[in-house]
Amino acid sequence: MTDSAKCVDVRNVHKSFRRGSEVVDVLNGLNLTVNEGEFVGLMGPSGSGKTTLLNLIAGLDRPTEGEVFVRGEMISSMTESQLASWRTRSIGFVFQFYNLLPVLTAFRNVELPLLLLPLSAAERKKQVLTALDIVGLSERLHHRPGQLSGGQQQRVGIARAIVTDPSLIVADEPTGALDSKSADEILDLLGELRKSLHKTIIIVTHDPRAAARADREIHLDKGQLVTAQ
Amino acid sequence: MKYLFLVFENIRRNLIRTILTGLGTMVMVLVVTLVFTVLTSLDKSTTEKQKNLKAIVTEKWQIPSMMPYSYAQALSEGGADPGDPDAARPDDSMSWGFFVGSTEENPAKRSFENLFFAFIMEPEKARTMLDEVDALSDEEALPLTAAIQKMKDVPNGVIIGQERLDKMKKRVGDRITVFGRNYRDMNLELEIVGTFPKEPARYADSSVISRDYFNRQLDAYQRSHNNQPHPMAEKTLGLVWLRLSDRKAFNKVSEQILKSPSFTSPAVKIETSSTGIGAFLEAWRDIIWAMRWLMTPACMLVLSLVISNAISISVRERQLEFAVMKVLGFHPNQILLLVLIEALLVGVLSGLLSAALTYGLVNGIWGGLPFRIAFFPKFAVPIDALWWGAAMGAATAFVGSFYPAWQARSVKVSDVFARVT
Repeated sequence: MTDSAKCVDVRNVHKSFRRGSEVVDVLNGLNLTVNEGEFVGLMGPSGSGKTTLLNLIAGLDRPTEGEVFVRGEMISSMTESQLASWRTRSIGFVFQFYNLLPVLTAFRNVELPLLLLPLSAAERKKQVLTALDIVGLSERLHHRPGQLSGGQQQRVGIARAIVTDPSLIVADEPTGALDSKSADEILDLLGELRKSLHKTIIIVTHDPRAAARADREIHLDKGQLVTAQ
Repeated sequence: MKYLFLVFENIRRNLIRTILTGLGTMVMVLVVTLVFTVLTSLDKSTTEKQKNLKAIVTEKWQIPSMMPYSYAQALSEGGADPGDPDAARPDDSMSWGFFVGSTEENPAKRSFENLFFAFIMEPEKARTMLDEVDALSDEEALPLTAAIQKMKDVPNGVIIGQERLDKMKKRVGDRITVFGRNYRDMNLELEIVGTFPKEPARYADSSVISRDYFNRQLDAYQRSHNNQPHPMAEKTLGLVWLRLSDRKAFNKVSEQILKSPSFTSPAVKIETSSTGIGAFLEAWRDIIWAMRWLMTPACMLVLSLVISNAISISVRERQLEFAVMKVLGFHPNQILLLVLIEALLVGVLSGLLSAALTYGLVNGIWGGLPFRIAFFPKFAVPIDALWWGAAMGAATAFVGSFYPAWQARSVKVSDVFARVT
């Protein structure tokens, strides 16, 4: 496999946190590669390091040791400011609890990351409408999160994640707060994004049904990969 | 600009809290504006001018100054020797005596409501020499000019400030009898011929009566008292104002007056009006100091704390949102700015609104701030108060919101989400 085919390359990553005087090792020399266009499910018990790994891949945290490359860029050595700019361009993040800004309409929530790019208002509008159309919420532009169902809010969250057209989408328990019907719809949508828009998708999940949708399931335990199917 | 909707939406998020913060800001800005109104007016009066300055001649060793009226003519010439063409002479002058009385004959019923205070002076000098009146345009001074003109036909005419007129429940054209207090047994029959303009508000409680008329009343008193002059007859000149072109002219006139043998009994002193007013304000030094250095900073501090408290609560509630914004790519400094702008917007708008309301209410409805200090009965809120209010709101909002904004900037994404999940 060539480096250009790799979307994510995690090399010998250690991550530890300090709790008072105690140092807790969460990831211990972990290596992982995710290819372009791949749909990966990260599974494991609570405290196994799934979310920590996801945060490292998304540039939300830095490893204590080791390197993280995303599409050839070593994000583990970027400054906070560089990481912020990089996240806008390269990563779409889907949260378990949607985390939409409650005071903003669906349109404004989706527009939020575009404000950071040098786009005109017309260009932003076009991209927001496209993203909301992809997730099937063109009719809910002016609704605030409180006026939408959980499934609809998560769709807005996904629209916000794809509106900047990132190559990588990471999702932390995207179906964790949804009923099974809505969860299936969201998983269908993620699958469709990967298929039609060729996105690389990494989801952290406890739900075996969600993981089953992935091309590859990766299991973590005590900060190490235990299996990869 | 494209971020402004975020600021507005966040301000609208908890409207009650925003309104309460705004009201808190408005109250504090109101207090500081009123304090500044008094302080800046006093500062203005005590600031030394280099050109077109005014000098005050008063009795040297006694307060209140009570000089013989015979000094008036020579002092108004700056003590210049009539035969010396090279002597320095003032550009203009005005003599003041003071008549204090009451419109109530019965001493037991005399009160502030029926108090009468008048400058005994040359009426036409009210237009050219009275502080701030001399700066009015002809149009602004029109009612006063008309009243001065009328005093030529009505020797016992009196010009009374509108507020005093209202307190006395009198109107222009009415006649009043004033019973003297500092001039005992001298009662004046006066006809109200006009009022002072609304601005400057400092004359709203004062009056002007003619020096010629008053001198005739003193003569009448003497005739009716077995040719005995009134006990105060030789003490009717309180001070003389001189308008001088510059410091050089002031120094020359000072020298002429102080060296003149005509002004030795009693001796006189001459000082610039700012120095004179400054000396007069010495009695209020402590209260002015406290207003400037205790009250104003205390208000600003309380205002900063009010804003800090409100913004801190808001930031604490929105930690998750700031974390999400960081995930989306917002830079820490952008988040800092967004929070600061929210606070600044509330501060500036509340400050501006408060100052505008203060300006409108105090000047338009009250006719000035009734804070009696020295001979300033009222203070008009200056138009500068509008930018003071906005600047005060902005400064305190900035100070008060900086720490909470820094906390918002410093939100650690992984910590916030670790707490959530």
